[in-house]
Amino acid sequence: MRVVVGLLLGFATGVGGLLVVVFARPMATRYADLERWRIRRFLDVDSAAPTRPQAVKYLAVRAPVGLFGGFVLAWLFYGLALGVIAGTRIVGNGLDGVEWRDDVVATLWTALIGGVLLYIEVQGIRGVVALERGVARRYLGPSEAELLRRRIEELSLSRAGIVAAVDAERRRIERDLHDGVQQRLVALGMLLGRARRHPDHADDLLRQAHEESRHVLEDLREVAWRVYPAALDALGLAEALEAVADRSAIPVTIHCGRFRAGPEVETAVYFVVSEAVTNAVKHSGATMIRVDITDDEDAVIVRVEDDGRGGADPAGGGLAGLSRRVLALDGTFAVRSPAGGPTVITAEVPCG
Amino acid sequence: MRVILAEDSTLLREGLARLLAEEGHEVVASVGDGDALLKAAAAHRPDVVVTDVRMPPTHTDEGLKAALEIRRTLPGVAVLVLSQYVEQRYAADLLGEHAGGVGYLLKDRVMQVEEFLDALRRVGQGGAAFDPEVVRRLLARTEHPLDVLTERERDVLAHMAEGHTNNAIAAKLHVSRSAVEKHVNSIFDKLRLSGEDGYSRRVLAILRYLRS
Repeated sequence: MRVVVGLLLGFATGVGGLLVVVFARPMATRYADLERWRIRRFLDVDSAAPTRPQAVKYLAVRAPVGLFGGFVLAWLFYGLALGVIAGTRIVGNGLDGVEWRDDVVATLWTALIGGVLLYIEVQGIRGVVALERGVARRYLGPSEAELLRRRIEELSLSRAGIVAAVDAERRRIERDLHDGVQQRLVALGMLLGRARRHPDHADDLLRQAHEESRHVLEDLREVAWRVYPAALDALGLAEALEAVADRSAIPVTIHCGRFRAGPEVETAVYFVVSEAVTNAVKHSGATMIRVDITDDEDAVIVRVEDDGRGGADPAGGGLAGLSRRVLALDGTFAVRSPAGGPTVITAEVPCG
Repeated sequence: MRVILAEDSTLLREGLARLLAEEGHEVVASVGDGDALLKAAAAHRPDVVVTDVRMPPTHTDEGLKAALEIRRTLPGVAVLVLSQYVEQRYAADLLGEHAGGVGYLLKDRVMQVEEFLDALRRVGQGGAAFDPEVVRRLLARTEHPLDVLTERERDVLAHMAEGHTNNAIAAKLHVSRSAVEKHVNSIFDKLRLSGEDGYSRRVLAILRYLRS
């Protein structure tokens, strides 16, 4: 019922809207506000307040929709009126002297057709409402409330994402420590224990133990570096990235433009590059990796490309973590990795 | 003894294999995951299996699962489980119904070569070896009033729970064997535990008592 009233008003305002567009453009925003009230009140469509050119466009486009709505409603009223007349006559005194009992089949058949037409009519009304909504979305845009709702949704998603990413990183660090550093330390201790037990070849065992202690330190440094590269704070992003390139088993060329961004942006950029490079080294079979870091007005754009076999899984641990990290900074993250390669990973992180 | 090693770190596996070979044990197979361990154990029927808890593919508790399976299906094969952390659950699972031919040690114990070899020997000969850390936590958490015991008796209790023989306890505490026996009897009396024959039954009784 509410919708029917809304569309009926919409038919009237459609005609009025055309007049405003043609003769009274200065009034367009106020008239559009009236329309916004109508679609919110009767059709549950939220929209944003328009500027005058937007309002004029909106009114011009929605006028035919309003007229069409009237046309659809006319059919509704026409059908209903016919139905009522036929109904009263048949039940009352019979149609043209014919009792409905005389031809039950014909009566039922007519009723069925009436029902089908009513159904089509209802769908038509829905269609008009959808059109109204579409036009409002297109020319007025979502309302502030709608935008806030979307933003909150985004934020809770990215917040949950960052918690998951932190957990995943911790798990990885734990594994690095236990499967790397701890194993080496146990092996080292075992060498020393054997040396004490067998003084005759203690020299050789001690030499191995000494060597092992060097490996332990290397492992520890690797783990600490992966947790957080201290160079990032001390020497800046460009230097830290150079170190990533130096440590990579595959040649990495880095083009890093100058830009100013907060430390959280630099850290994100660093981890995108470092993780993408690690991934490429581990899985892609690439022979070279190219990293481009550029900035446009208000975002840093990172692009990491390798010439490997592709097929990288964006949902895989490392890449999913990166995606969450970038999304948490309101950035965008994309992995393009067709089978056969190449793999291109791009991230855009706003500087603001 | 004939030993199977299950450890996914090559470095550690090699180290352990050398250590055992030096001590005159025969390493009949070295494997890197739970499935391979089960196959090797069934094929070789070793005296003892030494296994890491965490192994591929899931890196959670494959080694422990395999050890429990071996204990269930191959009663003649002793298992010594090495773990990165002390998990009471794992110790309890392993203990099961009998404490013979079973051990649960922190991986770090491998560094104390003598202790490790001693534990391996005990387990291989049908005894038990539980990590001092497992026992320490049990003693700290038990709801039974252990203050009826003297300090020395508590020391002896801890060593018994780890699976040591009276001789070994005597040597560790620098007292005579008969002194240890006296302490043991006194402990069993005070805690109202029935005296148990055999060291592994004794371990089971004590660990059960502490946990109950």
